[in-house]
Order: sequence, then C-alpha cells, then structure tokens
Amino acid sequence: MAYNLFENATMAIKTLGANKLRSGLTMLGIIIGNASVIAMVAAGQAAQNYVTRQFESLGTNVLFVTPGDAQRGPDAGVRRADTLTLADAEAIAAEVLAISEVSPEKSQRLRVTHGAAETQANVLGTAPEYLTVRQVTLAQGRFLSPVDAQSNVAVAVLGSETAQTLFGNQEPINQRIRVDNVRFTVVGVVASRGSSFGQNLDETVYIPIQVMVNQLTGQEVGKTSPTVQTIAVSARDATSASAAIYQITNLLRLRHGLLTQENDFTVQSQQDLLDTAASITDILILVLGFTAGISLLVGGIGIMNIMLVSVSERTQEIGLRKAIGAKGSDISAQFTIEAIILAVIGGVIGSSLGIVSIVILTLTTPLSAGISLSAIAISFTVSGSTGLIFGLLPARRAAQLDPIVALRS
Amino acid sequence: MPLIDLRQISKTYGVGDLEVHALQAVSLTIDPGEYCAIVGSSGSGKSTAMNLIGCLDRPSQGIYRLDGIPVNTLEADALADIRNRKIGFVFQQFYLLPQLTAVENVMLPMVYANVPLPQRRSRAMKALQKVGLGNRLHNRPNQLSGGQQQRVAIARAIVNRPKLLLADEPTGALDSQTSRSILEIFKNLNRDGMTLVMVTHDEAVAQQCDRVITFRDGQVLSDRPTLPAAITPVNQG
Repeated sequence: MAYNLFENATMAIKTLGANKLRSGLTMLGIIIGNASVIAMVAAGQAAQNYVTRQFESLGTNVLFVTPGDAQRGPDAGVRRADTLTLADAEAIAAEVLAISEVSPEKSQRLRVTHGAAETQANVLGTAPEYLTVRQVTLAQGRFLSPVDAQSNVAVAVLGSETAQTLFGNQEPINQRIRVDNVRFTVVGVVASRGSSFGQNLDETVYIPIQVMVNQLTGQEVGKTSPTVQTIAVSARDATSASAAIYQITNLLRLRHGLLTQENDFTVQSQQDLLDTAASITDILILVLGFTAGISLLVGGIGIMNIMLVSVSERTQEIGLRKAIGAKGSDISAQFTIEAIILAVIGGVIGSSLGIVSIVILTLTTPLSAGISLSAIAISFTVSGSTGLIFGLLPARRAAQLDPIVALRS
Repeated sequence: MPLIDLRQISKTYGVGDLEVHALQAVSLTIDPGEYCAIVGSSGSGKSTAMNLIGCLDRPSQGIYRLDGIPVNTLEADALADIRNRKIGFVFQQFYLLPQLTAVENVMLPMVYANVPLPQRRSRAMKALQKVGLGNRLHNRPNQLSGGQQQRVAIARAIVNRPKLLLADEPTGALDSQTSRSILEIFKNLNRDGMTLVMVTHDEAVAQQCDRVITFRDGQVLSDRPTLPAAITPVNQG
C-alpha cells in the first residue's frame, strides 16, 4: 500500500479533528455501546457473585429437605407444606449413616416484647444442632442445649438486631421476654449473620422446637408429629453428600408410604442450589450483554451513517486525491482508518465510562462489581471491528468514485 | 519524441440514441517544453480532451502516448501512478484540503509517490518558495487569499517534478491582477523547461501561451502559434 498506516492514521486524526462536533456525535453511539457492555456485564457478574455468596452463607456440605416437590412446582399436586415432620428429622438423625447432624426448622413471624420494647421477629423453632449445621457464631451466652429440648424449658437465643431492639445497651442474658405472650428466658445472643435472600437473619428469636409446638403453634390436627418447614442436614463430608441425598430420599419415601407416587419432599444440596442460581444468573448476564451489544451495533451503524455523509461531502477531496495519484485502495484505506479511529477512541472513552459506572455501582448498591478485563477486551474488539465493518461500505463507495465526476461535483 | 501524442482519439458518452461524441478522431502532438492553450466554447470537447490528456479518463478509440507510454491501455491503478509521477494538476477551484497547512497540502502527492518522509518536507518547502510562498508554509487554506491558494496548488502540482503541468481555467476564480501573477509563475516554469497545457476560455490568457489549439464540435478547429500582435480567430464561448 502506497499510503502507509501511520500516515493514514495521522491524516485521519487531522481530518476528524477538523470536524470535532461531528466526530464527537459519531463516537457517542460507540461510547454508549461500550460503556453499557462493560457496565452490564459487570452488573450481571456482580449479581451472580451476590447470589453465590448468599448460597455459600447457608453453610457448606449442607443438604436441605423441604416439603413438596420443588422440581415440579406448585401445580404438581404433591406440593404441600405439611409433608415433613419432626419425626422425619429424628428418623434421619437416627438412621442415615452419611450424615453428621440434623437441624429441623419451623418458623413463624411473631410479636416479641421486653417491657415497653416491642418488635416483630422471625421466631425459629429448632434443635441445638442448628448452631453447627448452619455455622452460626454466638456473641454472648449459650445456644439451645439438648437439656432445653428434653425438659421443655422456655429459653430463647436472640438474633443480634432483635437483642439490640429489645435491650439496647442492657445485658440481655437471663432477662425475660415475651413471645406472643409466652414468657421466655434469654440465654444467648447470636453474632450478626447478615441477610439471606432479602430476609434479615438478625431479626430472629431461636427457641427449642418442642417448646414452639407446645406453647406457640400447638399440635396440628391429624398429625402425630409436628410439621417442619425445613430439615437442614450436614453431610459427613463433601464426598458423602450424594450418598446422604440417596439415603434420605429412600428413608422418607418409606416413612411416607410412597410406593409408586412421586416424592412429596425435595432433598437438595447447597451445590444444587448454587448450580440452579448460577444457571439463572448466567442467562441474566447473557441477556444484559446482548442488550448492551445491540447498543454497540447501533453505534456502529451511526459510524456508517456519518461516514457515508462524509464521503459524499468530501467527493472533491477524493477527486483531488485521485487526480494527484491516489489509488482506490489508498482512498478506501483512508476512510476505513478514519472509521476505525472513531470506533477505537469511542471505545476508550466508553470503557472508561463503563468502569466509572462500575465503581458507582459498587459504592451505591450491595453488589460488588468487578471490572472484567475480558469484557473490556471484548468490547474493544467489537468496537474496533464495528468501525472496520461499518467503515468498509463508505470507504468502498469513496474508492469507486470517478475522479472527473468527483472533481466536477 | 512528443510528450503528448494523441492519434485518432474518439470519446463517446452514453449509448444508443443518447450517444454523445465528445471527441471525434482527434490527432494532436505536443512537444516537451511547449506552452500551449486549449480553447473552445462549452461542449466543444476541450474539457474531454483535457481529461484524456490528464489520464483522468480513457479514450473510446485511438492511441494516446504520454512520454512514450501507451496510456490508453492502462488500468485505473496504473493511470493513478502515471498522474502521480508525470502530471501536475492546477484547477480553477484550487482543491486544497482545508484541514492541512500549505506545506502539508504540497506534500500530499509525495505521499502517494512513496517519497521518504524527511525529503517530502524539504521538497514541499522548496516548491512553495518557487511560487513565492516561502513565508506562508504553515497557514491553512482559509488563512490564504485566492491567489495564494492557487500558488499552493501550483507548488503541489510541481512538487513531484512532473513532465506535464495541466491547468484547467487556473485564473477563472481570480481577479485580473492576481491572474497576471499566476501566469507569470507559469511562464517562469515554462522557461525552466516545464511543458504546460492550459484550458481556458479567456482569450487574453490564451495569448500568453506560445500555441493555441481551438476545439469545436469535438474536433480541432485550429492549431496555431500566437503572434505578438496577432488577430487570432478564437471562438468566443
């Protein structure tokens, strides 16, 4: 090529600089496109990280047994809230070998008071094993003990926020609280656990599940054992999770008298939940990225538009260049490089804006977005090639101009 | 050997009933060192002849040798190369690139001729000095008067040291005083050995040349040298 790349680039920058407003407006599309690709992908990944952290906060090697068939949804006919009982939990603890501990969970939102202080809290009836299965740390006092469970003593362990609301700076241990007008003695406070899926885990009152059934919820009609909402089970170790799922499933089918029917319960490992969530957030990232990609495409079409206008406005320049010896390839290189430079400069500005918006996102939302180098690389490549692709047609048109016609126009 | 050698050149535009015979079997030779005017009314074929001589267009029929090269057989890229190396163009509207300074405009033909960068600038400055613009090197066209812009254009036309300088109504956009100074530059260039062909409709301008070729209806009507006080039958167009 007679006209080398460096000179072409210098010439293009001069030409673009001579018409700053137009060059700026042309770049705007690419800037927005790039910024949105980078910001959207980062937001998607941040959402994914957030969801992943939420599941990891549930504890590792944990299995969750829930009533109904989660896979088949509410219309499956077997999704009933009352198919799991405390007796099931006890049976799992006694008979399944691949597990180490079992924590039945039954919760209800109730009014909790201490003197004049009053709050709504999630009252969670559970067993002493909850502490280890759910990996909870105590801030003060002790957690529920096996003795509490057996002797039906009304003791309570408070979540950090509930303790703060009811007691302020007072010492809560051995104080009395009322839960739905039943008296409880506070024996411990749990360290802050944050929130999980929008539920604030620190607004919780932990009490023995037997006490909850006997004094708060009462025995359900037609049930020999109280129902529970979740049975959290810790597998013996990471490798025994699938064995545990198999054994729990068999045991519960037997206990529920299921011969040919579908399961009326669901056993899921934390990994299953993570995978499901990841597959959803992957789609989220894809959709966000695709949407942003479309804006990049629109930006590219903007470049083509302006370049076409530019070619028809600069026919005399093209004619002159041809008259003094420019070949078609020289002219098309010139216009293509102008388009690429527009796209690349737009790409740089857009990427910077994208990064700024990631920083803002991290500062203003619970999502912590990482700056994805691959997203920057991709959006750069895309905007560069957008410039190339959308610069080609105008460049071709310029190269094919007849010098006589161009000069006489 | 003539620099320009047109033999039985015809140029036809359009097809069928719309055919226009812009040139009909024109034969013409111009020797190196000549200073020659092409005149004629509009539609006489003078512009077509100018485009063909300048290798901007190809004849429909006939043979055209420029400096011995049969350019009528060449493809577009080869013609671009011929224009670049052998011909300098000066146009009525100057056609300077507004985003470039005077010296950058003059450097442009050397870019396409692959002249090494350091040489370009010095050659461009020399060419600008030759046309009397050595003190306006870094002005942009909009900072220059019409006459100065045309001088930049002339410097651009001669910077690749072409054999032929082709001027299309070079004084058409200039006042008479400026025109005289431009014609003076042409005269000096011709004196230094440059072959000049100028298309004009201005008889006074044509009289500055040594030879006047008059076109009418696509043919050469007359071809004669100018005389100091000759009453030349130029067709007013």
